[in-house]
Amino acid sequence: MTITVELTYELAKLLGVRRLELEGAATVGEALRLTRDRFADHQEAFDRHMRATALVVNGVLSNHRSHLATRLRDGDRVGLLKAAAGG
Amino acid sequence: MLKGYANRILEVDLASRTFAFRPLDEETARLYLGGKGYGTRLLYDLTPPGIDPLGPENPLIFATGPLNGSLAPQSNRFAVVCKSPLTGGIGSSACGGSFAFGMKKAGLDVLVLLNQSATPLRLEIDGDRDTVAFLDATDLWGLGTGATQKALGKGKYLAVIGPAGENLVRYAGIVSQERIAGRTGVGAVMGSKRLKAISVAGTRKLEFEDEEKFKAYTTWLRKYFKGHPVLGEKLRRLGTMGIVSATNARNIIPTRNFKYGHHPEAMDLSGEYLEDHGLVGVRSSCMHCPVTCGREVEVEGRGRVKGPEYETVALLGTNLEITDLKRVSAWNNLADDLGMDTISLGATLGFAMELQEQGLLDTGLAFGEPGNISAMIEAIAHRRGVGDELAEGVKRMSEKFGGKDYAMHVKGLELSGYDPRGSYAQGVEYATTNRGGCHVQGASMYLESTGPLTINPQSLRLKAELPVVQQNLACAINSMVLCIFTTYGIIPGMVHRLDPKSRLYRVIVAVFEHSGPMYRWLMKLRGFPLLWFEQWLTHITGRTFTSGHLQEIGERIFNLERMYNLREGLTGQDDTLPPRILHESTFQHLQSGHPLDQLLPHYYKIRGWDARGVPLPRTLARLKVRV
Repeated sequence: MTITVELTYELAKLLGVRRLELEGAATVGEALRLTRDRFADHQEAFDRHMRATALVVNGVLSNHRSHLATRLRDGDRVGLLKAAAGG
Repeated sequence: MLKGYANRILEVDLASRTFAFRPLDEETARLYLGGKGYGTRLLYDLTPPGIDPLGPENPLIFATGPLNGSLAPQSNRFAVVCKSPLTGGIGSSACGGSFAFGMKKAGLDVLVLLNQSATPLRLEIDGDRDTVAFLDATDLWGLGTGATQKALGKGKYLAVIGPAGENLVRYAGIVSQERIAGRTGVGAVMGSKRLKAISVAGTRKLEFEDEEKFKAYTTWLRKYFKGHPVLGEKLRRLGTMGIVSATNARNIIPTRNFKYGHHPEAMDLSGEYLEDHGLVGVRSSCMHCPVTCGREVEVEGRGRVKGPEYETVALLGTNLEITDLKRVSAWNNLADDLGMDTISLGATLGFAMELQEQGLLDTGLAFGEPGNISAMIEAIAHRRGVGDELAEGVKRMSEKFGGKDYAMHVKGLELSGYDPRGSYAQGVEYATTNRGGCHVQGASMYLESTGPLTINPQSLRLKAELPVVQQNLACAINSMVLCIFTTYGIIPGMVHRLDPKSRLYRVIVAVFEHSGPMYRWLMKLRGFPLLWFEQWLTHITGRTFTSGHLQEIGERIFNLERMYNLREGLTGQDDTLPPRILHESTFQHLQSGHPLDQLLPHYYKIRGWDARGVPLPRTLARLKVRV
């Protein structure tokens, strides 16, 4: 099973890629852990960045499902969301 | 005499070249505030049903409100009201720039333009001498909005149109400085009057109930705005394009004519990318606004110009599957100069690309292919070749060439940059908003998709209540006349700092989601002014304003707009969304379409309308809406 994690602009800059293809992440929590592992050289920056960042599965906050226990399916897209306003 | 108002209206007959100053109607100002509220009341009363939007009977109304001219942040906006040539219903659009400030300096609350000139014309209004000069504008006809304003001289308070307005492009706008009243085709109405430009001048001062209190409060508020995570940090640093990452993550950024809600390279159109790639010049802002959400960018051959907003990069970018920010910036500048709405333009180009794919119309346009777009934008503005068809907008094109299933409009107004399949309340708002498919007549998406405290965008909870409250508030704000961005400050900074993954955050959201009638009741509370718009209005006018007062005024305006639309032949059948939105999914794992049919009956009930979407007599009586 493969899921995609879309990084924020700041995290993409740190890692040099915009998205991660992850194998074996059955839940949002596992996807978060595997994503954090990729930032081994930037753990502090990653943790600081994630403090006010929501996790979004196919556009819906994981909060509105089972949060970190939310089950993932093959092809799911996990986004990292910082609040913003536009118009 | 009402404080906060100039207390007079100027009526100008462009055919007979005569004018008259009239007193502001105090009762109307009390009931409708000003701006689009007062303008809608005038439009309703001045015109019989069924007029041609581009005919002489359609008045073009410029209206300010009690906050304009006060130096309150975000208060430099004016409203334009007329019958829309795009929708056939209420046309209204708001604009920044300097014109509103100039109107108040000239001692004008409202400017009503009647009939049509036989030849190109410009007006110079002197509010100190109480004169209106009718000047030949043949030499300006055909010029862009930038060249026109330059020719008329710096330091003037101007409202102008470009070639798109002259050529009656149905989504042409009216420009003041670098800002545009873009939506619903108000520029085409100005063009139909052969009115190229208006300048206003004067040295009059606004009368306040308590100027000292107003100033002290405004000074405090400026500091609050500057320290606010959205107004003072994110919008200030990244502009409105700072929302791209959020809408892309949420699956709601229009992509490939709204077929999808996510583009893998949308980041190239983000505020962060703009900041990082040397495209930024200086921040720019509307008069007196500390937010400075505008950006300047380098455009080849044009130098530093106003950069695109979120709506533009969504509709002219991902929606066309083009993520080259330099090109999108150039098209934005071109559209501004030609004087047309980039939202309707981008949606129309996207629709034309899909028509091309389906073999229904040969436009020479294709998704992901930027090559022919500049030429097409020029062709639209001048109504040349197939550009003449695109100048009619998506609805009329779909009626002529087919493709109604993917014609992305509501009531004829093209959808803006938030796909409602990932934002159900925003979908209800698009479907029911009187001017058509627009996001700034409530901005529900902020509370369900992009803001710091968001309810589940894909459940049915609060999805009928939220648009009602938000639409009412937006009607009031557009009648003061303030920028809708001021509402982004309502959620305090401490909430922004909450971790969305925390239990506390989830509890707060759950309470909000389940608040339903309680939420509406709270917003209707009266007692004392709480938020800044209420405080400002109270300090300026001397009347006490509260959230409850604003909800009532906004509801009144919304219902009057509704009655205008019904009078002009629109019905509840027009409260719908494009078939693509109702029936297709944007992503393989998302449920299909928007559940509008489950939400609309509840929305009507909350509004006090019958099952056909007609306001009940008791609703109109309660709100004192005279029809």
